[in-house]
Formats: sequence, structure tokens, C-alpha cells
Amino acid sequence: MTGPAEPTVTAAEAIVAPSPPTTVGAAGDSGRKVRRTIGYALLIGYAFLMLIPFLWQLITSFKTNPDALRLTVVPSPFTLQGWQTGFLTLDPSIPQLFLNSVIIAGAVTLTNLVLASTAGYAFARLRFPLREFLFIAVLGTLMIPDQLRFVPVYLIERQLGLITRNPINYVGVVLILAVEAQQLFLMRQYFLSMPRDLEEAAKIDGAGHVTTFLRVMLPLAGPALAAVSILAFQGAWNGFFWPLLILQSQDHWTLPLGLFSFRSEFRTDWPALMSVTVAAILPILAMYVFFQKYFVQSVASSGVKG
Amino acid sequence: MAAVTVGTSSGRSAGRGIRGERRAEMLTGLAFVFIPLLLYVFLYFGAMVYAAYISLWRWGLRGPRAFLGVHNYEQVFGDPIFWKAVTNTLYYVAVWVPLTMALGLFLAVIVNQGLRGQTFFRAAFYFPTLASSAAITVVWIFLLQPDGLFNSARAVAGLNPIFQALGYTDNFNWLGSSRTAMNAIILLNAWTTSGTVMLFYLTFLQQISRDIYEAAAIDGAGAWQTFRRITFPLLRPAHFFVATLLVIGGFKLFDQAIIAGGRGGEPSNSLTTIVLFIYRSAITDSEFGYAAAVGVVLFAIIFTLTLAQRRIFGEAPSW
Amino acid sequence: MRQPIRAVATAAVAILIFSACSSGATPSPSGGGASPSGVSTPVSAPASAPASTSAFDPQSITGTVVLSGWQSTGAEGDALNATLDSFKTAYPNITLDYQPIATDYPTAMAAKFSSGEPPDLFYVDSSVAPDWIDQGVLQELDTTAAARGFDTSQFYPGYLDAFKGPDGKTYGYPKDGNTLGMAYNTDMLTAAGIQPPTNWTELAAAAAKLTTGNQKAFCLSHTLDRALAFIYQNGGSLFSDDKKTNTVDSPETAEAIKTYLGFFQNGQAARPADLGDDWCGKALGEKKVAMIFEGGWLDPFMTSSFPDTKYAWAEMPMGKEKATLGFTVSYSIGADSANKDPAWVLLTYLTGPDGMKKWTEGGIANPSRKDVAPAAGKEVLVQSADFAKPWSFIPGFSKVSDAFNNAMTTQIEAKSDDPAPVVSATSSAIDTALGQ
Repeated sequence: MTGPAEPTVTAAEAIVAPSPPTTVGAAGDSGRKVRRTIGYALLIGYAFLMLIPFLWQLITSFKTNPDALRLTVVPSPFTLQGWQTGFLTLDPSIPQLFLNSVIIAGAVTLTNLVLASTAGYAFARLRFPLREFLFIAVLGTLMIPDQLRFVPVYLIERQLGLITRNPINYVGVVLILAVEAQQLFLMRQYFLSMPRDLEEAAKIDGAGHVTTFLRVMLPLAGPALAAVSILAFQGAWNGFFWPLLILQSQDHWTLPLGLFSFRSEFRTDWPALMSVTVAAILPILAMYVFFQKYFVQSVASSGVKG
Repeated sequence: MAAVTVGTSSGRSAGRGIRGERRAEMLTGLAFVFIPLLLYVFLYFGAMVYAAYISLWRWGLRGPRAFLGVHNYEQVFGDPIFWKAVTNTLYYVAVWVPLTMALGLFLAVIVNQGLRGQTFFRAAFYFPTLASSAAITVVWIFLLQPDGLFNSARAVAGLNPIFQALGYTDNFNWLGSSRTAMNAIILLNAWTTSGTVMLFYLTFLQQISRDIYEAAAIDGAGAWQTFRRITFPLLRPAHFFVATLLVIGGFKLFDQAIIAGGRGGEPSNSLTTIVLFIYRSAITDSEFGYAAAVGVVLFAIIFTLTLAQRRIFGEAPSW
Repeated sequence: MRQPIRAVATAAVAILIFSACSSGATPSPSGGGASPSGVSTPVSAPASAPASTSAFDPQSITGTVVLSGWQSTGAEGDALNATLDSFKTAYPNITLDYQPIATDYPTAMAAKFSSGEPPDLFYVDSSVAPDWIDQGVLQELDTTAAARGFDTSQFYPGYLDAFKGPDGKTYGYPKDGNTLGMAYNTDMLTAAGIQPPTNWTELAAAAAKLTTGNQKAFCLSHTLDRALAFIYQNGGSLFSDDKKTNTVDSPETAEAIKTYLGFFQNGQAARPADLGDDWCGKALGEKKVAMIFEGGWLDPFMTSSFPDTKYAWAEMPMGKEKATLGFTVSYSIGADSANKDPAWVLLTYLTGPDGMKKWTEGGIANPSRKDVAPAAGKEVLVQSADFAKPWSFIPGFSKVSDAFNNAMTTQIEAKSDDPAPVVSATSSAIDTALGQ
């Protein structure tokens, strides 16, 4: 990647600098255009590089199994067999797996939104005893790898009756992912970076803390909430460690578990697997694209003007 | 003035007085953090206490087998593979964290500019993150094979003489050689995590008002200066956030290590990370007490580092 | 890996994994080959109950039995389901609850053992059997077998012994088995004008003839779970028969390792990773090598991924003696399992002649009993079980394996055929493991 290393305005700089472009006494227009084009070309190249794994999965889904192992770009022959097998013949059925994943990921996203935003706000803006100590404790949870805590967590959930074959089993998984320290941390940092004037204004208007939070701070935390949604959903959608451990019945399996089980070491139907994998990415992608509007700076984000 | 519609429904108007105010704040704060903390106590701290307890024992699949006191810890510190795991992990963190931060920040700033095709770029840059890391790792393994795409491409591009000068043969087995395996994983993870870091930075970039940029532009600041003097410092909460998460996450490296290097951290334990070592002790060797001891040590390391980071970033609340 | 990515990351782990997920990229599963036609036999009439003394009538047992194991799909899954269906027909008084584990079987089982609620009947891989026996999580079976008259004499010792504890008692019955054989590309051998080698001398000659230009004669894995076959063939070993003494430091072992390393040193063999493959089966399929040493799991792989590569099986070449490795998985009952009686009935059905016949008749797996005939095309591998030694040793053996593998990697990368560092590293690891 080109970096802004040269003293003059390079293509990267031209791209990095916020618009409007008319500000700095720029170099000649055509020179700029060339550098801009090069910059774009590099960006597109890099973006393409990022897409390679996904494109490769997509291409493989249209190949036959022997062909799938070869390093070719064009499927020969081109076939829909992978998709057919993947969606029609696998067991547990794909729709069931999708449904289970949606239930769990949806629930986890909601709990994260509610709990991370409220707690994050409290840690950022509300004073209460032991606040900083408790926050360090929250950070501390990040430092405990799953491989270390899975046995006690399993035992606790068993005590709570969540290790069972009936649907309350889902709660077992959601509970573990309900409010991830990372999301809480993110919300706290975001609230910290918001100007204080907002709350002071609300205070002057006589708003209590809860109202301030709900009516003032939360609506302005769009980008952070969007990020939390994406990350929480994605984590729950793609996660397999906790569902593996907690879910007891095949009927409740989530997509990753199903996908893993379809792979038999020596007889994997790669095209079928790829077709399901590609389909599995789509919901997350949809979420990501949907929330894009929160990451567009053209939306006024300052909150307090004049 | 921000349009804040405040009804009197909240009932906490000025009539309460300062004491009442503070109390209300305190109660609200505690109420807000109650449920997360409760969950954390059971799912994390309870687990940590459990781990600390069993680290004093020889603990097998069916429970305690012998009381060892600190013997596990003595063994841990005397275990050469443990130290290899520590050095591997430290190296990984030291290189991967700054690399990924820089990459993610770079992407975020670019994508924040209102370029044409911005949505496409944002999506494309995020893609490696979307796909499962196992998928990516396998593709990476695939590409880095001796006769894989990377070696073929560099041959075609005529870059081989450079590689040979550095000591890499034409069909070098990047992931199979103990020299380069870890670096390959670092690049892989930097690449896949850059999307999420980009997302984080993008989030915080939205906080920076356009007015500031316009003011800077009017003052005649150049692109790099704007970035260095304005954007970068204003992202301090983001830097702390990203750095903390990445360091912690780096210490927990497991998935790619086991996928690429197998349970043995091959080649030659070069891919054995601390968490892989814990996993091996617990699952393969059924030595839960030993694994717990390593876990406690790991926790202590990360905790110390995080506190230090807090100092460095001057991360005190902005009261 | 950081938290968010790890969450993302722990996504469908294996779906794109070409390589086997365990170390050394050498698979040692149970249930090997699948015939191309798959299994589609309808559930047949119930076979007679296993031989029982008049005192024990399996039909008198009622209850539920929870069966677990790692998930199998495709033809394997079908064969298993057919076998389980015929059990249900034969024993209508017992309810069968099949709960497979999708991934990371050891972790899930560790949690279940720790909570004292393991499944009633489950798989135990021979390589972890010593550890699980040592941990006390498996139910001893000899007492019940004697009381209820279950005949274990027909199991190949190479398989059954893998599940015997240091107390000599049996803790599981092998459900099927696989041995290492030599798979060779028929066209390549014909072109070079040689017959499949039957001993080490012929092997060396074949290696020389089959190495031409860039083509290697063999793909060899550097790992202990392959090299050990050669060590045994030369009369070497790792342990004494009672597994209490370290015997690796012997001239026979050193010689065997030297020969093995020699193949790498003189360019006649390459590791799969060096050929760009995750295991040797792929190398054979891609026609990069002429011979490999693998087990019956090669067959379904070749059929589905490389149907155009013609290959055949032969016994592993003889050194000073005939030897090969036997990989197997048992059905075992947990020491803490809740429903041991129904589990016993299921166990004896699945590992008895009737159940095993059903399971293996389609060629999915090879029988571990002498009184069950192998499916067509599997004869070589099944007959090799006569001289197979179990891949199962002592608790903590994984460290011995790791030590050997790492030392071999170093030697191979240094292009050395000196066995001494390998022997000494392995010996230290064995001493440590025995010391525990």
C-alpha cells in the first residue's frame, strides 16, 4: 500500500485528506488526477484481494467435487449440483440450521444492544462507587480464554437446568454471549468521546439520567450501536465453540455446527459445502450493508452546534 | 441548541437537591451495570476462581487426583514448551497489534472520505472478517503452499531473485518452515482483522465533526497534517479501545495456530501459543490443574499489560 | 486473535479445511472406505441375539440408551443409521437416543465427563484410550462379558488390545479397524516395470526406479503414526510388551529411522506439505507420487475426489518381520453413565457379528472381528490386521508423539539421516510419560 511518505501531495494523501478538495493550493490538476487514478487502482486491487476467499468459495460451489480441489478459476464443468445437494439433501436441513442461527444471533444482538449501551453509558458518564474498579473487572473478562473457562461454565449451566434437549437450551447459549465485554467497552468509549455539553444541556432542561440516556445520548450513538449490532450478530452467527458445548440436540444446531458435521474428513462434498457457506455469509453481509448509513460522515454527527 | 424534549415525567427535577441528585445518579449507574456484572461473575470470575482453585491440584476428567499446592506453577515455569509458547505469543502480539491497528486505521480513513464506490470498498475491506476465520486460514494455507498461488505469482512477476537473496527458495514452504510459519499467521490475521479494526475506527471517526476539518482546511492544513494533528489525536479513545482489544486478543491466539499447525503447534512448536498450550494440557493430556495454572499465569500477564496500557494512553475518565 | 474475530473466527471451522485438523495431517479415523455405490440396503429382519448364557436375556432389558460419537455424514452416516435401525428392530424394548457431537469431540466429551453425565455408549479413539482409562472414565467390561457370555475371542488382538488397561481389563470393544497398507499407482509401477515391493530391499529398489526428475517415489509423513510401522518392521519398538519400560533406544529402532530419513535425504520421498498437499492421499490422487502408506480411509477419498487415478493395495513391505499399525475406535460405556444395561445390549450388538456385519458390509469400514468377512476389495487391509500392532500406548503419549514429530521435522529439514537426535528426543519424552 502506498503510504503518505512523500512531502508533496501523493495520491494517498489526496485520498486521505477530507474534502473539499479546493482547500490546499494543490499541484497541477492533471498530476493530481493521475495520482488519484493510481490510488484508486491500488485500492481496487487491494479490495479484490480481500474478496478472493469469498470468490473462491463461490466458484467452488459451482464445480464438481474432483474439480473443486484444483486451482482453476473456471468451473469445468459448471454445475448447480453443489447447490442442490447442499440445500436439499443435507441433514439436519439447512433451513432448520438457518432458523436456529437466526434465533440465537438475533437474541444475542438484542441483549447486547440493550445491556452494552446502558452499562457502557453508566461506566462513561454516571458516577457510582467502585466504578473504575468494576470497569477494570469488565476488561478482565476479556482476558479469560474460553478454553480455560468452559468446564465451570458448563457445570453452572447444568445446575441451572440449561443443558437439556428442550428449547430452553437456546438460553444457555444466549446467556453466555448476552453482553460481551468488547461491546460494552465500545459503547463506553464512544460515550466518552461525545461532547459533555449534550448532557449539560439536558440537565439544564431538567432531565433525569434515564431520560438523558434514552432521549439524548442513545439516539446520537448510532454508529456505535450499528457496530455493536454487526459485531454481536456476526459473533453469534459464526461462533461454534459455545453452541458445540451447550446445544444438546441436533435439531437445535446452528449453521457452523451443521457445516462442520457435513465435513467428513475423507469424503467431503466441497461444492455442497461451499454453497451453504456462501449462503451463510449473506445475512451478515446484509446486516453490514444495512448499517452502512451510520458510517457515512455526511450524516451530521456533531450534535451541538453553536 | 440540541433539541431535547424533556417532560417532567422523569420526576427528578431540580427540587431534589444535590444529595438526591447524586443518589439518583448512583442508583441509575448501578442499575445499568447490574445485569452485565452478574453475568460476568458467574461466567467469568466464577470460572477464574474455579481455575485458581484447581490449579492447586492434579485435576483429571473425574475431578481431583492429588493436592499439589504450587507444584503446578513450579512445573509451568520450568517447562521449556511453556516458555516457547510465551515467546511465540509475545512476538505475535508485538508485531501483529501495531500492524493491524495501522492497517485498520488506514482503511477507515480512506473509506471515510466520501470516495466513489465507497460502499463497495467498505464491504470489500470487511469481507475477510465476514467469512469464518477457518475458511480464510485454509485459503491462506492453500495460497502459501510450495506450489501455490503465492509462489507461482512471484515467479511470474520475476521477484524470485529478491527472495533468493533473502534466503527463500523458489518453492518455499511458508507455513511448513519453523522460520516463517508465525510470520505467515501474523500477516494472515492482520489481513483478516483489519476489517473489524476498520469498523471500530470508522465508528469513532463519525464522532469527529466536519466543522473541524473545514476549519483546518481554511487554515491551510495539508492532508497529512490534518491527519496527524487532528484526526489521530481525536481518536484517542478509539486507540485505547483498539490497542487494548488487540493486545488481549493477540494473547488469546488459538484458532489459526491449531488450524495451521495442528495440536502440536508444528512445525516444531513454532505455532504453539499460550492458549494452544492450555488447550493441549486440558483436552489432550486431561491435566486440567496444569492447564488452569497456565491460565492463571496468562491472566496475570494480560492484566498487567492492560493496566500499563491504561497508563500509557492516559485513560482516565474525562471528569 | 481478538475477541470479535475469534467469535467470527470460530465459525464453521472445518468447512474449508482441506487438511486434517489433527497434527501431522495424518488421519487415523475409524471407519475407512466407502464403496462407490454407498449403502442403501433396507433394514433386514433382526438377526439372532448374541450368544448368551441362559441366565442373560438381552430382550429383558428396557430403558433408554444415549449413544454418541463424532458426527458422520454421507455414506458413513447412512451405514450407521441402517445399523442403528436394525438394532431398534432387534431390540424393541430399548429406546435408542442418538446424539452425535458435531465437532471437537474431545472438548465436548471432557465437559461431559467433568459433569459426571457422559453418554451411555460412545466412541473412544485408540490413541486416547490409555488416557481415558487412566482417568477412570470408562467402564470395565470383562466382568459383564463373563457373566453374560459375550465372546471376545474373535476380535483381532491388534485392535482389542488397544482398549486394555494396565490392569489387563478391557474397557471397550473395537467397532471396526484400519491398518496401514501400501497404496500404489498401478500405471506408474507398470511403466517402471516393477512389481509392488514386498520387503525392504525391493522397496529401496523401487524407490530408486520410481524417482525420476521431479517425481518422487513416495509421499511419506514424518509423523510417528506412520514411521512407527517401519520401526516395528525392523524389530524395534517404543515400549516393552507390558508398556512399563522404555525400549526405543535400540539399534533396530535407530536403523529403521535412519532408513526412513534416508528416503527424504536422497530425494525419493517428500512430506505432504512439501508437495503442497495436506496429506499423502491427495498426493497420490494428484499423481505426484507412486506409493503411499495409508489406511482404508483412502478409498472413499479417492473415489470422490480423484476417480481417475488408478491405484491398488498391497501389504506393507516386510522388514525383519511383518508389521503394520492398527487404528481403531471402540464403543465404550462410561464409568458414570446412567443407563449401563441398555448400553451393554447396544454395545454387544454393534460389536457383535450381526451389527458389525451390517456396519461394514457396504465397505464403509473394515471389520475388527475375524468372523465377519470384509467387503470386496478390502481383503489386503483386513488381513494385515493379523500382524498389526495397536496405535495405543500409555497416558500422556501425545507428548511422545509430538517429540518424535518435531525431531523428525528438524532432521528432514536439515536433510540429515542421523537418527540419534530423534531417538534421544523420543526417549526423553517416553521417560517423562512413564514417570507420570
